[in-house]
Amino acid sequence: MTEILRVSALHAGYGAGDILKGIDVALEKGRIVTMIGPNGSGKSTFVKTLAGLLPARQGTIELEGAPLNDLTPPKRVRAGVAYVPQEYNVFRNLTVLENLKIAREFMAEKRGNGKAVDEELVALFPELPAHFGKKAGNLSGGQRQMLAFACALAVQPKVLMLDEPSAGLSPLLMKEVFDKVKKVNERGVSILMVEQNAREALRISDTCIVLAGGRVRSCGPADAILGMKDLNKLYLGADAL
Amino acid sequence: MISFLVLLSIVVCFSAILALALNFQWGLGGMVNFGLTGFYALGAYSAALLMLKAGANTFVATLGAIAVVAVVCGVVALVTLRVAEEDYFAIVTLGVGEMLRLVVLNEDWLTKGALGLTGIPRPLGDVVPPEQYQYFLLGLALALLLGVLAFLTVIQRSPFGRVVRAVREDDVVAATLGKNVLWARVRIFAIGGGIIGLAGSLHSFYYQYIDPTQFTNIVIAYTFMAVIAGGRGAHRGAILGAAAVMVLLEGSRFLKDAIPALDSDQLAAIRIILIGAGLIALLIWRPQGFLREYRLKVSP
Amino acid sequence: MQTLFNGIITGVIMTLPALAVTLLFGVLKFPNFAVGAMMTVAAYLAFALNAQLGLPLLVASVVAAVAMGFACIAIDQVTFKPLRERGAITLMVASLGLGFILENIARFAYGNTARSFELELARPFRFFDIRMNKEQMITIAVATAAMLLMWMLLTRLPIGRAMRAVADNAELALVRGIESARIIRWTWFITGILLGVGGVLVGMDRALEPPMGSNYLISVFAAAILGGLGSPLGAFAGALLIGIVSELSTLVMAPNYRIGVPLVAIAIILIFRPQGLFGQPYIRK
Repeated sequence: MTEILRVSALHAGYGAGDILKGIDVALEKGRIVTMIGPNGSGKSTFVKTLAGLLPARQGTIELEGAPLNDLTPPKRVRAGVAYVPQEYNVFRNLTVLENLKIAREFMAEKRGNGKAVDEELVALFPELPAHFGKKAGNLSGGQRQMLAFACALAVQPKVLMLDEPSAGLSPLLMKEVFDKVKKVNERGVSILMVEQNAREALRISDTCIVLAGGRVRSCGPADAILGMKDLNKLYLGADAL
Repeated sequence: MISFLVLLSIVVCFSAILALALNFQWGLGGMVNFGLTGFYALGAYSAALLMLKAGANTFVATLGAIAVVAVVCGVVALVTLRVAEEDYFAIVTLGVGEMLRLVVLNEDWLTKGALGLTGIPRPLGDVVPPEQYQYFLLGLALALLLGVLAFLTVIQRSPFGRVVRAVREDDVVAATLGKNVLWARVRIFAIGGGIIGLAGSLHSFYYQYIDPTQFTNIVIAYTFMAVIAGGRGAHRGAILGAAAVMVLLEGSRFLKDAIPALDSDQLAAIRIILIGAGLIALLIWRPQGFLREYRLKVSP
Repeated sequence: MQTLFNGIITGVIMTLPALAVTLLFGVLKFPNFAVGAMMTVAAYLAFALNAQLGLPLLVASVVAAVAMGFACIAIDQVTFKPLRERGAITLMVASLGLGFILENIARFAYGNTARSFELELARPFRFFDIRMNKEQMITIAVATAAMLLMWMLLTRLPIGRAMRAVADNAELALVRGIESARIIRWTWFITGILLGVGGVLVGMDRALEPPMGSNYLISVFAAAILGGLGSPLGAFAGALLIGIVSELSTLVMAPNYRIGVPLVAIAIILIFRPQGLFGQPYIRK
């Protein structure tokens, strides 16, 4: 299995002191990796750093072997890394259609197959076209999440990073979200998810990474973690596997 | 030569007082006052009018000027800060300053408009002999400057000062701590206003003649420059900054003789251009100024 | 009625700088106090081309507007870009200083005496008892055309969408592939053109003198705030309203205090509806 994303010895933070204290992670191509951990462990910081919104103070981020560290976020998008933030993940004052258009418009090489991408998106998110004319801010929470997801896909990424995609959603919607994640993955997109609702996410994941205190505590097959009764032990213990 | 230096020093003093006011409002209070020139004019004209029209003596007139500007600033802060972000506050102060300037210019019956007010008395003008008067005025100005400095330092180190600083750093946090944010800000702005009024009355005493042309953008430009050069929040810095800027300004008057090709309008324009550019340059390269703010040491 | 018409003219002239203010605020997140002086400089540039070099005003205006567009990009690189991370107040103070610089460049070059453009003299005419002249007709036409073009740009063109996206959520725009530096450059270019055309219209309506642009500063901000900072439609509506009300106010109070109207308007808006007519309540992260 080839690696598509490799993170080595990553350090990052907001003020004095690092939140990420040396992270080594590898994402294999075509897999779904879910990162879990208690609040404040640095999960969101991690994906933000990968997306380029936070500078890496130490360490490297490589996409298919090519380093991303010096690339600005828009350039990382062009390189093939898409990111869905947890909150404020759609342009509220723009319509649904405009949100989608933007997502596709600023790619360096218009990968010619605009129509194909459109059809693919509509196939994956059939509920969206009905709301094309609506302002994104007027959508329900679940619909916004879907839109954010669709926008990230519109750039045809190689790697899709999702920050708590199920946050604030009802169990039904949560299932829908994870179904779509699975479908997207089946089309060849490698997925890195950060999640609180660990169990649901782990059900569709291949690998699970536990992050606590800014460090990777363990990394292994998702099934193994699913089998555990008490995930909290994981967070506290150094190596539960 | 001595005379020139004494007079220059007096001007530095009231410019420094003005800088201290802005420093207090902005550096300590986080409220940027774009109407500074207008409030300064308000102070100067209030003092002058109290003396010329109401027959007050210089002491009472000064107190009056301080009160007037303090109240106006307080009202502006009260109305605006209740709802607005700092952006809007700047816009409103700009507008108020503009309004004040227009009032001064247009209400001829009160301010004699463009003609200005003449014959403004000076403190103890009848008592101190004319040859020594400039030294007396310098002494008075210095005393007032030091007084304002002491006053502001006391405030800064008082519990109120800590509230003020907390509000500036993060007013959401300060609000949750139960401090009345709005009221603290109103008071800061009003106190700063009072100090502006004081500076304005000194201006009137010094020049003994005021007209609208003395209150142009150059006042606010050099005051901002002084505050930034001194390091926002550091009182001594504001004074040093004012001194430096004033010396440059007054010194540049000699440019006129050196470059006869330029007329006075053009020279005035160049001076503002240089100050404006200096302001921006300072913001870019030396925003912390040249002195540091007094901070209570808090162990990490 | 005459006053109402004059108010419409004033309002129409202000739509361009009001839109500039709202665009700049949306993308750059601070109120730019140099916009008045930018109009002034552009107007004087047009004057130089028109009255001194003999170009027809239309040509001079186009050249001046485009030049202003590029000038604004350059100004941003030198003045605001180094300060981008410093926060709104620092940027505001810098813009104030910049305004002083620009206004006095005009003063240095042309002095304080009022100038005017070289226009063919045309007779004022009457329309239902309202006195109008050719310049005012041109002003209405130009401003309306500019507004329509801007509307199309903001709603139909990708660059317009990107500008609105950046104004809505700058961080999200980055991860959606929008290069913020490019958008900022375009915003300045468009703003520069708007201010350039606006400056010429002011110069046609009144005379050319160094404070010509900054005189409008408060009114323009009031218009943008009334309409909702960040809402182009609001800028348009706000400008017309402020213009009309300001002129109508001269019926009841001294014309010299016309500036009091926008000031009071700002205070009222801030107390009752800070987001203006069309704006969104602003959440600063």
